[in-house]
Formats: sequence, C-alpha cells, structure tokens
Amino acid sequence: MAIRLNPDLIPNLLYSIQQNRQNQATATEQISTGRRVNVPSDDPASAAAIVGNHAQATEDDQFLRNVSGLQSKFQVADSTLNSAVQVLTRAVTLGVEGANGTLSAANRQAVAGEVQGLMDQMLSLANLSYQGTYVFAGTAVTTQPFVVDSTSPDGVTYKGDTGVNSIELSSGQAVQINVPGSQLFLNPGGNVFGALHQLYGALLAGTGMDTAVSALNTALGQLNSQRVTYGNALNQLQLTESFLSQEKINLSKQESSLVGADLAATATQLAQAQTASQAVLSATGRILGLPTLLDYLK
Amino acid sequence: MSSLSSSLGIAVRALLAEQGAIETTSNNIANVNTPGYARQRPDLVESPPAVYGNMVLGTGVQLDQVTSLRDSILELRLHQETQQQGKLDAFLGSAQQIQTLFNDAAGSGLQGPLTAFFNSLLQLSTSPSDINLRQGVLTAAGNLANAFNSTAANAITLQHNVDRSVTQSVNEINDLTGKISAINGQVSTMQSAGQNPGALVDQRDQLIRQLAGLVDLSVIDAGHGSLTLTTSGGSALVVGNQNFQLTTQADTVTGLQHVFSLGKDLTSSINGGALAGQLQTRDQEIPSVLSSLDMLAASLANSFNAQHQAGFDLNGAAGGNFFVPPLAGGVGAAASLKVAITDPSKIAASGPGSSGSGSAGDNANANALHALQGQAIVNGQSPLDFYSGMVFRLGNDLAAAQSQQQTQTLVLQQLGNMRGAVSGVSLDEEAANLMRFQRAFEAAARVATVVDTLTLTAINLGQD
Repeated sequence: MAIRLNPDLIPNLLYSIQQNRQNQATATEQISTGRRVNVPSDDPASAAAIVGNHAQATEDDQFLRNVSGLQSKFQVADSTLNSAVQVLTRAVTLGVEGANGTLSAANRQAVAGEVQGLMDQMLSLANLSYQGTYVFAGTAVTTQPFVVDSTSPDGVTYKGDTGVNSIELSSGQAVQINVPGSQLFLNPGGNVFGALHQLYGALLAGTGMDTAVSALNTALGQLNSQRVTYGNALNQLQLTESFLSQEKINLSKQESSLVGADLAATATQLAQAQTASQAVLSATGRILGLPTLLDYLK
Repeated sequence: MSSLSSSLGIAVRALLAEQGAIETTSNNIANVNTPGYARQRPDLVESPPAVYGNMVLGTGVQLDQVTSLRDSILELRLHQETQQQGKLDAFLGSAQQIQTLFNDAAGSGLQGPLTAFFNSLLQLSTSPSDINLRQGVLTAAGNLANAFNSTAANAITLQHNVDRSVTQSVNEINDLTGKISAINGQVSTMQSAGQNPGALVDQRDQLIRQLAGLVDLSVIDAGHGSLTLTTSGGSALVVGNQNFQLTTQADTVTGLQHVFSLGKDLTSSINGGALAGQLQTRDQEIPSVLSSLDMLAASLANSFNAQHQAGFDLNGAAGGNFFVPPLAGGVGAAASLKVAITDPSKIAASGPGSSGSGSAGDNANANALHALQGQAIVNGQSPLDFYSGMVFRLGNDLAAAQSQQQTQTLVLQQLGNMRGAVSGVSLDEEAANLMRFQRAFEAAARVATVVDTLTLTAINLGQD
C-alpha cells in the first residue's frame, strides 16, 4: 500500500512562495543599497570589520585635511625663511661694502641706515603671523616672539618659548611642525639678530666690520640649515599625502569586498528568484485548480 | 433459526451503519480546512453472530465507534518544536530592532561620532590655540555624548516594549490554560461515559499547540483522556479541569515584570515559546548591549578625564573633567554621558611644556588625548575594537537565531506534513468513501425491499 501523503499542499506551497518572495526582497535590497550587509546579522564578521574600516577612512580624511593645512603653513614659513636668507645675504654685501676703507663716515652712516632697515625687515619676518598665530614663537603662539630691545646685545628680546610641537601625520608617523624662533634667529651657533646688530654697531663705529661679516656668514649658514627642517617636513607631507590617498583607495576596495553587493551576482540571483517565483505560482495555480474525485461524482 | 425478520434486521442495521459512515465522511469533508482537525474513521464491525445449535449465522454490521486518526507521539513532537519556533520567532522579532541601532555599514551607529570626536582632536593638534578648532572638539564630543544617550535610550525603550509583550503573553497563556482545563474536564467526562471526545480532543490539541507557541510545556497523559500540562520546570499549568494562572509582578529594582506561578518566580527558568524569546531579548540581549555601552562610555569618559587633567588649558590652568564623571561601576554611563565643559578655552590641549603650566600653542596633551583612540582603555581593548566586538556579538547572536529559525521552520513543516499524512482530510479519499458507503446504503435498502417482497409473498401463502 502506498504511503499516505499529506493531502493539504497549501502550507508547503505558501512556504515556497514566501521563500521566493524573501529571496527577491533580499536581492532587491542588496541592489538598491549596493550593500550585501545591511544589518549586522547579515554577516557579523564583516559588520564588525567595517567599523574599523570606516574609522580608518574618516581618520585618513582628517589626516589629509591636516596635511593640506600644514602644507600651506610650511610653505609660508619656508618662503619667509627664504626671505630672511636674502636679507642676510644683502647684509653680508653691505658689510663687505662697509669694510671698504675708502668709505666716508657719512657713507657708512647711510649703509648703517640700510642695515637698520634690514633689521626691521628681519624683525617683521621673524614675527610672522599665520592665521592669527605667531609661527616662530615656539608654542607661545599668542605672544609676539621678537620685540626691539636696545639694551640687548642682539637688539631684540625673544618672548616666545622653546616648545616644539609634533603631530601625527598618518597612523604612527609623527612630524615636527615648528622650529622655535630662538633656535632660528638667536641660535648661539649663528645668531641672526646678533650678527645684524653687530654689523650695525660696527658700521657706526667704523671698526669690526670683518668680524661682523663673518658672524653674518655663520648666521646665514645656520639659518639655511634650520630651513631644512621645513623643507624635509614638506617632503614628508607630500609622501604622506600620496600614501594616504592610496590607503583610502585600498580601504574603499576593502569596504566593497566586506559589505558591498556583487551587483552582477545579485542581479542574477534576483532573476533566478523571479523565475522560481513564477514557476511556483504557476504550479500552485495549477495544483489548486486540479479537480478532486468529488468533481466526477454524478 | 434464520428468519425474514432477522434479514430485515440485518438490512436495517446496515442502513444505520452506512448512514453513520456517511455522516463521518461528510463531517470529514466539512472540516477539510479546520485547523487541528484530525480526520475520523468509522469503525464498522460485524454484529455478534446468532448461534443456532451448531449453526452460526452473521447478523450484519454495526458502527462500533468513530476513531480520530492522530499520532500522539507526532503531536507531542509538534508541541515541542512549536515551543522552539515560538521562542526563536519572538527573540528575533524583538532583538532585530536592537541591531538597527548599530548599523554601521549603513552609517548609523557609534563608530561615526566616536571617530569624528577623535578626529576633531587630531585637527586641534595642528593649531591648538585656534578657538574654532577647540569649539569643533566640544561639538564633536557633544555629538558623541548624544549618540551614546540616544542609543542607550532606544535600547531601554525597546526593553520596556518587550516587557509589555511579556505581560501580554502571560495573559494569553492564562486565557489558553483556562480554555484547555475546561475542555480537559469535558474530555475525561465523555471518555468515562464511553463517548468519543474526538472533536474536543482536536480543539484541545489546537489550543495546546497555541500554548506551546507561548511557553515551554510538558504534556503528561493523566489517564481517562485527561492531560496534565506543566512548564518544563514542573510548575503546573493545567491539572484535570483546573488551571493555574501565571502572574506577573514588577521587579522592584528594574521595574521589569517577573513571571510567577503559585508564588514561585519562573522568569529565569522558562526556556520555550514566545515568552522565553521575549525574556531572552529583555533579560539577556538588551542588558548585554546596555552594559557594553555603559562600559564603553564609562571607560572612555574616565580615561579621557584622567588624560585631560594631565594637561593645561588655553589660560594655563590645569585641565579639569572633560566629561561629567560617570558613576562608579559605570551603570547608566551611556545614557547619561555628558560633556562637562562649555568654554572651548578650557580644553587642556597643552602639555606642561617648559613652563610647567603649558602654553597656548602646545599640542602635547591634544596628541595624548587623540592617542587614547588606539589605547587599550576599554576592558583591555581600544574603544573602536571594543565597539566592533559588541556589534559582532549582537550580529552573531541574531544570525545564529536566524539560521536556527530556518531549520526549525523546515522541521515544523516536515512534522506538519507527517501529521497531515496521518490526520489530514483528503477529499479524494472522502469522495471514494462516500461512494462506497452510498452504494452499501443503496444495497441495504434494496435488501430491505426484497425482504419486504418476500414477507408479502409469505403472508400471501395459501391464498388463492
């Protein structure tokens, strides 16, 4: 005797229809959102990994914004120091001129006047302000770092501090972002203001110009070597920028492999689900329409 | 000795028996769509034979009884699997709403505000004296606190919604046990009186199936057709014609409803049916999420405050608390996380520096605060790692329940098919039976007519 089957096919048919509808809905959701993982339970491991991925990507955005902000600041600082180098070069020329014994006292006075002008220029360069803060004041960025002080042998007093900031450029990589003014302009290894002030005094006194010129040359060398800090930092910024851009591309690739929907595959799944759904519906229609023995009773 | 009247008796009994069989068949056809109905079979048996000396003559047919066709072991398994299904459905229905709070793939969740907060510190470190950047840090911190507050508040709201469902389920359970106990009484009365309680048993099975969807259940056959229902922990629900109501009582601390039976707290021992699923969401899933959120918020606030106090603000004063310090133990920390300072100059971005009291442009402490992002400050993990671990656990719990639910659906479907194979009404079969009984009825009627003719012939014997 044949096994008796469940005569009620409707629950099974409804289940199949529902499964197909579910598959269609899932595929449609994935296509419309572009994501395979729409809630954590869709793929818990990927949903957890995406937290780190998004965090890294937004942090990289911030790193990139920082890099571009620092680039303009460093460029301003670098070009300012370049101007300072030119001022010193001019001072060396004037010092050599002044050392020429044929110069009259009046002429030396005139040269001294020009050196005075150079000192003022240097002062304004050293007091460079960028976006409301003093660049060469160490970390005391709200205080004007250099003020004229005739009692000082350097002609100026440094009001800033020797603080140095460094910031993280990308994960784990830090760069020094400032050089204190005292290190740049009042460095014992080459004192910019001291040498200028010395030249000015020598021109007025008519003696000691050679010593002053050699002090100026030392200061020039020193300033140039300090400039390298900014030059190097700029190079590092550029490298970091391209590294971060590349990393962002990688993160975005990782994101789509973690949670992105494979659109081609999903579209195929949708088409399959639709075909299956039509098949089930047509089968259901036919099965439910089948006559029973009752229809043949006369 | 045989007689015409006994032949007529056989015909009449046959008519009655076939009539009963037709009635059973039409009842089956009528109940083809009735949930829980088990098809009935008319049990036709030979009537006790008449013995005349050494001759035994049959006396026809009689309808002995009408049997409901059901497999009680199968019904029992159906009840058990229904409990599991009920539990999974209720758990998923309520717990799925939690994960929408942590949908970081779609941009909702705590990762966004958490990263934005640390990024604001990174930006501050480029220009620590910039008041706009400082304001940016405060805004990002405020957003982070809000995100914690609203996530915790949503989870708590959800918990209370589920709590209401618990009370509803308990009411439904009491309603069902009331109905079952009444039917139980009738069934055993009918059984004792030798009647077929088929229809009532069908109803009772259907009600027990509904009950199994709500609570874990042991069904014990108490004899005489009566069933004893208890929770799997042994607390009585229905005994004979008596039902034992479950009651709820709010917990004095949490305000959440506990389920009692006869004064005994069953809350933690219910492990089947919708009630168990709701309790799992309410007492395990949501509290676990909330305590993770609290731990994250409290550790973050405490570590951040400690580092903030090591620094100096824009005016050279030592840093104070950045966040309002969470309560010891961290309970409720996520719901109440709040930024303590409103004046951007009070952010202690500076390290002590050479002066020992910091300077406006120093970013050492801003760097140190930003670095907390990568440090193991939350239960041995970085804040984001801890958070993503929490998202993973939640997603994993739900994914596991979903796959169980799919399996369970298939199991129930299979059992349903097996039950249908035993108890389901087939219209073809009934039609065939109907014809068979109709033909037999017609034949018996024909026999009666023939006997009538014979009797007439006998009466007319000897007349001309």
